[in-house]
Amino acid sequence: MNPDPNDFEALLKLMALKRHEQPPPGYFSRLPDTIAARLERGEGQLGFWETFMDHLTFRPAFVYSFSLAALGALTISVIYSVRVQPEESAQMAGNNSYSWQSAAPEQGLASPYDSSQPLHVANWMGSDNVSNPAPAMPSLFDTGAHGHPMPVSFAGSP
Amino acid sequence: MGAYDLLVRRYQERIYATVYHMTSNHEDANDLTQETFIKAFRALRTFKGDSSFYTWIYRIAVNKSINFLKQRKNRVQMSLNDMDVNAENDPDLVALVSEKTPRRDLNLAELQEKLNAALLRLSEHHRMVVTLHDIQGLSHEEIGHIMDCNIGTVRSRLFYARQQMQAYLSDYLK
Repeated sequence: MNPDPNDFEALLKLMALKRHEQPPPGYFSRLPDTIAARLERGEGQLGFWETFMDHLTFRPAFVYSFSLAALGALTISVIYSVRVQPEESAQMAGNNSYSWQSAAPEQGLASPYDSSQPLHVANWMGSDNVSNPAPAMPSLFDTGAHGHPMPVSFAGSP
Repeated sequence: MGAYDLLVRRYQERIYATVYHMTSNHEDANDLTQETFIKAFRALRTFKGDSSFYTWIYRIAVNKSINFLKQRKNRVQMSLNDMDVNAENDPDLVALVSEKTPRRDLNLAELQEKLNAALLRLSEHHRMVVTLHDIQGLSHEEIGHIMDCNIGTVRSRLFYARQQMQAYLSDYLK
């Protein structure tokens, strides 16, 4: 027969056994000296963070007030950013005399392409004659016949 | 330091017992008891006296024990203390062993091991309530202050923990 789940009398009698468990003899006479020695060695010094966490642990009111302050600061910053952003963007739009559309050329790229005209392509030297490209510019690393670096001048470049 | 030495001597047995019943291990209880008193000494300036020193230092011990057990994830190895000589003469225990316990050959040491094993199967918070109330004799209100919860929570945890213990130890409680 199982014991009544709500009758704990036998269990409580059995729990009395725990009160008879004792540490080794002399333990409690040595413990204060051990603790004092550890304190004198400077053990357990609390840093800033541990002190802060102690306040959190032992002061529930501090936790609530800190949480409220953090929540308030967050709310204010969200409201401020929501209000300020539309005002700033409207102000910027009003101050600008041009927009990206006005920067486009008047005779735009959308002008019709005439396939009867030869195609001119400008190369990097500025010449638009494809059949007669400009002579290549001397490189900074060109060497002469003797293998020495040659001075380079761009004065005579086309 | 002299005054603090007196405080240690005054509360050491209760703090040690709390931590020991939570861990069922003398070495762990020794470490945690020392750390509790060291932390209390360093944090004395944060103690404003809005609760008794007794409650305050108990709370440090409870937090340290629960954090320790969570880190260990309940992989606690038992290292049980011996029972004092009075245990053999305790009429309740004598009755349990010689009459009510179906396994007549079970001695006190084996019963102690079964009891501690059952305690270790409880969650940390349930074990703490059972320890503080049923072993150490603290009131529901004191436990509520120490564990930072209301009396209703203490009562419900105690009831649930006892039911669990009863189920784990059903073979020894007939």
